[in-house]
Amino acid sequence: MNIDTTFWFFDRISEDNLCLLYNGSFSDEITNKLIELSEYNILNNASLTKMKKKASFLMAECFQNIVRHGEIIDGEEIDYVDEGFFLTKNWQGIYYITSGNLVEKHKIPELKRQLEKVNSLSKEELKQLYRDVLANQEISEKGGAGLGLIEMARKSGQKLDYFFQDFDDKFSFFYNQIVLKSMEEVFQNNEESPFELKEAIEYHQKMTDSNILIIHKGDFSQDAIFPVLNIIEENLQKEKKDEVSKKKVFHILVELLQNISKHCYVENGKKEGIFMIGESDGCFIINTGNLIQNEYVDDLKDLLDQINNLNGKELKDLYLDKLRERNIPKKEGAGIGLIDIARRIISPVNYSIIRIDSKKSFLTINVIA
Amino acid sequence: MPTKLEIKSTRDTPYIIFDAENNQFEIKGNSLPENTNNFFEPVLNWIDNYIKSPNKSTHLICDFEYFNSSSAKMIYNIFLELEKIKESGNAIKITWHYTNGDDLIEEKGLEYKSIINVPFELIQK
Repeated sequence: MNIDTTFWFFDRISEDNLCLLYNGSFSDEITNKLIELSEYNILNNASLTKMKKKASFLMAECFQNIVRHGEIIDGEEIDYVDEGFFLTKNWQGIYYITSGNLVEKHKIPELKRQLEKVNSLSKEELKQLYRDVLANQEISEKGGAGLGLIEMARKSGQKLDYFFQDFDDKFSFFYNQIVLKSMEEVFQNNEESPFELKEAIEYHQKMTDSNILIIHKGDFSQDAIFPVLNIIEENLQKEKKDEVSKKKVFHILVELLQNISKHCYVENGKKEGIFMIGESDGCFIINTGNLIQNEYVDDLKDLLDQINNLNGKELKDLYLDKLRERNIPKKEGAGIGLIDIARRIISPVNYSIIRIDSKKSFLTINVIA
Repeated sequence: MPTKLEIKSTRDTPYIIFDAENNQFEIKGNSLPENTNNFFEPVLNWIDNYIKSPNKSTHLICDFEYFNSSSAKMIYNIFLELEKIKESGNAIKITWHYTNGDDLIEEKGLEYKSIINVPFELIQK
């Protein structure tokens, strides 16, 4: 992952009210946290709260698809089989839920047949099929469809939008996108969806190519930070990183994410920012972006330039000096977090500050740990 | 004598017990609250009151899983307050517990040890 990738995503999601992209393994713990974070995002957005129940249900259905296909195949353990993609996005009043999971190739014709079956039925016919399948599970194998797919079509009130993308000789990715209108009940199928499934697939591709685990644009209050931390911890656990580097990454994440929440320019009561974490050559690359008040820009620049010119010993001394400062700054913790980050990374604290208007600037920070 | 101060742990705040009567002083767990000042204010106030007539010997046990850098400052403030116990001729010591291999917490302990003037012992769990 490099800085260009960061800006590639920043550009594309900058207009989103919120956006969560995840490209990694799917355990129950992780899916729970992804739902928790998405629900938090929805509840935090007045225009979306009405559809929380529906969105949560649909997300859970997507995850069931993913988890169900995570199996041992032909006695051969395939450790990437639980890898998948998940997207929730709110843009121009529309809420998108996209998932991508690996499906064994030989299962595709049957899955396609079920998808087409569901898409060919009217609302009433779907309701009837749901009852039939519920009464007799075997129908699924004899020309019916899985309950999950039927429910997704019924609850979303639209045709299932799907795509199969080749992955390797055994698997393809099965992508599925649900579109919900925040204001009205359902998104009409005859409307053009401004964010198409193929764009979501492009995001996934880009994340995979650049080894990006998670991207989040939205509010960075404590309730949103925790699910993000948990998801990353789960992934670190799976990668069997040693305790020292796990804790180091955790610490850097806490400091950077809490910096957004403590120091960002608050607009409409929200502490918004963009956060991204990926891997490269065994290192973690972490990027953040958020608005700050122009009046903080000079001090921040001075501090960052200062700490980027210090060696390890000097950083430690500066850290201890800050620790011993008796006054508790109004903006608590200002500075000391960045100094402590600088002590633990292998890169400088790379940053850019772009002036937006007379009040605010956009700050990006990039570190490698 | 000040009443006992006991704060239950949460996902982002530590368990704290400061009990003068039973001579028990302990901070344990995670500390990364959204507002560190608000969380630690009652703790600092309690200590401020306690040091007016402290026990003959006070032993603070710190057993952190993780703490963020704004908590680091508050923890330092707690130590500074407790340091004042020495002025009245009473004893204060701090033990700092860390898990074997937890470089971050060990390092933070060593740093505190180097900048405060009370007996400070690091103990590997």
